[in-house]
Amino acid sequence: MTQIILRVWLKIPDAEASTVRNTLVRRMGLQQILIDVKKERLFSIDVESGNPLDLAKSFAKELVNENKESCKILFDELKFEGDYVPVKVGLHIEDGEAISTRERLRNRLGFKNVTDVKKATIWKLYIAGDKPEKVAKEIAEWLLINPHKDSYEVLEKTKKLPECR
Amino acid sequence: MKIAVMQFPGTNCEHETLVAVKTVGMEGALFRWNQPVAQLSRYDGYVIPGGFSYQDRVRAGAVASKEPVMDALREEAALGKPIIGICNGFQILVESGLLPGTGKVDMALAQNVMVSNGKIVRRGYYCDWIKLKHDTMPNRCSGSFLISKGALLQMPIAHGEGNLVTMNEDLIKRLNENGQVVFRYCDEKGDNVPDFPVNINGSIENIAAICNPEGNVLGMMPHPERAFFSWQLPPHHPKKHDQDSPGPGRQIFESMKRYIEARA
Repeated sequence: MTQIILRVWLKIPDAEASTVRNTLVRRMGLQQILIDVKKERLFSIDVESGNPLDLAKSFAKELVNENKESCKILFDELKFEGDYVPVKVGLHIEDGEAISTRERLRNRLGFKNVTDVKKATIWKLYIAGDKPEKVAKEIAEWLLINPHKDSYEVLEKTKKLPECR
Repeated sequence: MKIAVMQFPGTNCEHETLVAVKTVGMEGALFRWNQPVAQLSRYDGYVIPGGFSYQDRVRAGAVASKEPVMDALREEAALGKPIIGICNGFQILVESGLLPGTGKVDMALAQNVMVSNGKIVRRGYYCDWIKLKHDTMPNRCSGSFLISKGALLQMPIAHGEGNLVTMNEDLIKRLNENGQVVFRYCDEKGDNVPDFPVNINGSIENIAAICNPEGNVLGMMPHPERAFFSWQLPPHHPKKHDQDSPGPGRQIFESMKRYIEARA
């Protein structure tokens, strides 16, 4: 069993990330410490057979619109690089879009080796100061999630990885 | 009697709402989200219309709920003034903690999930004409003040996130006991069938509208302003061509007016 991870982000301006940044600066009073906000979509796709790299490239063709998006491919371990705090936000109730993506890959596109798909949003919070993780937690709970449907996790960042295209 | 129809970036139906407010005999004005909030206290009631405030970024209603104007609305609500949130307005009220009225975010309006015979048959955005059953006593809630318990109303819905979910196990029980469930999705006979297409979004116990414990704040997913005049009704409706007949949505605005008169 291999988990193929696609980190997908807009290469055109991301209006949603800008709105989040503006809201945090103007309404949460973070103008002194919040440097920037970026966002990625995250697909975690479990496969039980096949060449992971070939499969990952095939999935990227289907799930990434290269006219406006770029992605990174990882296997089994989610890693981040850069000077930001990654916050992963996903649904803790049933995720209909993830189920639809799984069914699309399996039944419409013929990838029968796909056993599960999970989706999430990664908010990349560029925070100055000595307690960025604590601030990231406050941001997540104040704006990024509704606890009655979403859960979040403040992740660790690691070294730089190559881009998939 | 002056009503502020709130306008956020991405709101729609504010003009239809304004027409509805004025037609039942109240004064109305659009109130932009970035107007000085001190001006808000001049009004006797408030409607937050539907639409897609801030393009539903992050999630529906989340960004609008952080605007200072919502703090001002919270103060007006504490004075007992009526607030009606329609569709996105309901989502904003939930995200701001004004509904269900516990002072915190106590529920979510999640993405629609349409279930039939135990299977998910559809997800996401959906629009249709639906039936609603009024499930609380008249006089309980500002937006249904004049509506009898058990009355059926036909209104349109158009949303992608109206599925009421909560992690608070006691909340639904408390809403039921306090008469805070104002409308439920039902069939032609008034039965709250839990399956799609009666329950059009998977909401717990077919809940379509709730009010706060005091009854002055109402949030509802259906659009009463789109069923205000009989000519707005769907083509097969017998009153469609009866120009003088009021539409079912009018009762919401008539109720708001009566609620304000009763408070005076």
